[in-house]
Amino acid sequence: MPLIGSFALLLALALAAYSFIAGAMGLSRKDDRLVETARRAGIASWAAVTIAGVALVMAALGNDFSVSYIMHHSNRDLPIAYKFAALWSGQEGSLLFWAWLLSTYALVLRLRYKVDAMLFNYASVIIAAVQVFFFLLVNFAANPFGLVSGTIPADGNGLNPLLQYPEMVIHPPMLYLGYVGVTVPFAFALGALIMKYPGEKWIHITRRWTMVAWLFLTCGIFLGAHWAYEVLGWGGYWGWDPVENASLLPWLTMTAFLHSVMMQEKRGMMKMWNMWLIFTTFLLAIFGTFLTRSGVVSSVHAFAQSSIGTWFVWFLAIAFATCVFFFVRNRETLRSEHRLESLVSRESSFLFNNLVLLVSCFAVLWGTLFPVLSEAVTGSKVTVGPPFFNRVNVPIGIFLVLLTGVGPLLAWRKTSLDALQRNFAWPLAGGVLAGIVAFAFGFRQFYPLMCLILSVFVALTIFSEFYRGARVIAARENINLLSAIGELTMRNTRRYGGYVIHFGIVLIFIGITGSAFNKDAQAELSVGQSLKVGPYTLLCQNFDSTANDNYQSARATLEVFRNGKSEMMLYPERRFFPASGETETIVAIRTSPLRDLYVVYAGRSPQDGNPVIHAYLNPLVKWIWFGGIVVILGTGLALMPNRRTALVLSTVPEKSWGGAVPASAPTTGGVARGANADD
Amino acid sequence: MISRRATLAMAILATLLCLAPFASAQQTARAKALGLRVKCMCGGCNDAAGACYHSGGEFSGPCEAALGMLKEIDQRVARNESDDEILKAFVKEYGPTVLMEPPKSGFDLTAWIMPVAVPLIAFIAVWEVVRRWRRRAALLPPAPDVPADLLARVHHEAGRDES
Repeated sequence: MPLIGSFALLLALALAAYSFIAGAMGLSRKDDRLVETARRAGIASWAAVTIAGVALVMAALGNDFSVSYIMHHSNRDLPIAYKFAALWSGQEGSLLFWAWLLSTYALVLRLRYKVDAMLFNYASVIIAAVQVFFFLLVNFAANPFGLVSGTIPADGNGLNPLLQYPEMVIHPPMLYLGYVGVTVPFAFALGALIMKYPGEKWIHITRRWTMVAWLFLTCGIFLGAHWAYEVLGWGGYWGWDPVENASLLPWLTMTAFLHSVMMQEKRGMMKMWNMWLIFTTFLLAIFGTFLTRSGVVSSVHAFAQSSIGTWFVWFLAIAFATCVFFFVRNRETLRSEHRLESLVSRESSFLFNNLVLLVSCFAVLWGTLFPVLSEAVTGSKVTVGPPFFNRVNVPIGIFLVLLTGVGPLLAWRKTSLDALQRNFAWPLAGGVLAGIVAFAFGFRQFYPLMCLILSVFVALTIFSEFYRGARVIAARENINLLSAIGELTMRNTRRYGGYVIHFGIVLIFIGITGSAFNKDAQAELSVGQSLKVGPYTLLCQNFDSTANDNYQSARATLEVFRNGKSEMMLYPERRFFPASGETETIVAIRTSPLRDLYVVYAGRSPQDGNPVIHAYLNPLVKWIWFGGIVVILGTGLALMPNRRTALVLSTVPEKSWGGAVPASAPTTGGVARGANADD
Repeated sequence: MISRRATLAMAILATLLCLAPFASAQQTARAKALGLRVKCMCGGCNDAAGACYHSGGEFSGPCEAALGMLKEIDQRVARNESDDEILKAFVKEYGPTVLMEPPKSGFDLTAWIMPVAVPLIAFIAVWEVVRRWRRRAALLPPAPDVPADLLARVHHEAGRDES
């Protein structure tokens, strides 16, 4: 298997290199046959890297510990699902997986080249260049098929226990699908720039690719947050760890791109800006991998670090230089006439939306890299921890929530005062009312209160948009309001899918607001002793232990009382994995829409050997996960094609012509579309 | 009523007793807040001393180093030292890296200035762009009003129903 895998990787490199060089030569000489061979070589590179991927998985499933990577990331007793996940659990496998995903995206692109042969060929060549980089890495810097030196061990070191969790099996692939997916719109954008592609068709072609990449990245980030919450046992879901930040950076710029690209589609504006947004998103996706892999800043993802950072720095430098070169050379093609009729318009809301998202991106990047910068300048390292990120990003986030509500309801070009009053008066009143009620109930902290007011305001603007549109359809087509909402949504999936996404974001912000009211308590508990957190009292009933082939488990049995009444039993657990010598916490969570009771069996105190229980009371966390699901569903909706709108058939009041056409014959009298369908 | 009060008092006492081993650190809200502002200096984690949990380790709670730091905070709080004095003492002992946030002095002040300065500059830049674009729009003759139904039909026939 290792021999087949190694050979397949070399072959994939050769094919991708051919695809890049022959493709570039063919395009510059306008030699269609050469370009076609490059396209086919690109397709073949997918087959080669697939063989390599299958070889690595087979080695993991077959316990081939002669392969160093398998020896370090698997063991005989590891469940099969996790053996499969070993493919992306370590550095070398991750990079191979990355290369495979990139090749798969490229395969789809190369097979669909007839949509716009020339543009697709340019994009194919650019992706081939990125493929060459990743194939070079897996062949020469981080080969997953490297063999162990000396005697082949009887068993492997096992998989990091923190990764032995169902969500961790899908979190990295989702994140990678997002990171890698960014390459496709990047390739189209750069290709369009190089070939001086006229018009905005490349934007239409790449819209779905970009949304799919955004969807995967969003899923990846959420799964990562949920995994951190359920597995790491520190009571939180986002620690502003450099690697978490690395995934957020391209997400923020891609979100900005998805919004500002509408300016280009509708008004032909911001062409240069959009080009650089997608370039930046791609560079940040590669930069994210660099952060994860290089260990340039210390991170909880330390298991993924190595010395391949230099490769990434060079690749980033070359990619950036390429973008700058072609931008400077061909920027004339991106010139557009920018006009803005009014400050109160959709256009200006997009500008400020981009401003806020990019400022947030800058703040996160700045905080992530500042320790390195400070050390370089002052010689002493500083820590930039969660308090800094929270302080800087919370106001930005609140402003973003405001724009989420205001932006979509402003009209293109100009919004009248009447429309402003009609759209915002009631939602604003609702938000303020919610704020007054919350204040009366002791909700006094400034940011959480603002966040709540704005969240209610945004949610009401979204509901009113659905209601107003659906009411028109319901009246016109004589259907009930619920069916009308469905009809309205399906007629303009992009717009109403966008609203659903915004609603999901509101839910997430409400959930995050809850963290301002977190409580926790920690104590050594023997059987019969209790611990109080918020309204709950945890009574320790028992400690027991079990074992299987993969791990040994120590478990606490806790009875939870609320107001003196027994409510439930919780079983927080610790698992020790002999193969790796590491321990994992299995958190017991009693979740409800209002709050999570989150209980960790921290282990035995190093001082006196007594068991220690740590209990957290985390309000509103469930809203975050639910909001994430809503965002994902909304994106799925926005990706669906619109239901074609039917022409309204109205009866002709005039007499028919000589009886040839019946008096009630229909004629086209207008277009039945959702209210405000074209925004 | 008395028996309920007695039960409550006993429950509180029992809770305090069972919390005793960990109550030796972080006795006050101020100490707890300070515990979250200094980094655990064990070298094996990036957590605040007050939130040290050592994921994957033998014990998912404050390590020896964190406990020592929390205890020192408690002692200094008990001696009525101000927050600044306590933090300065830690910086003197471990260097600026012990603070969970960059210090607001010297070069490290830029850590705080930039997230304010950049949004301000960006806001001014966007405002300027908006102003320029509006001026350009004002120079052009106003677009003639197009009847709504005609506009709707044009959009429909052009296949641009998407927003």
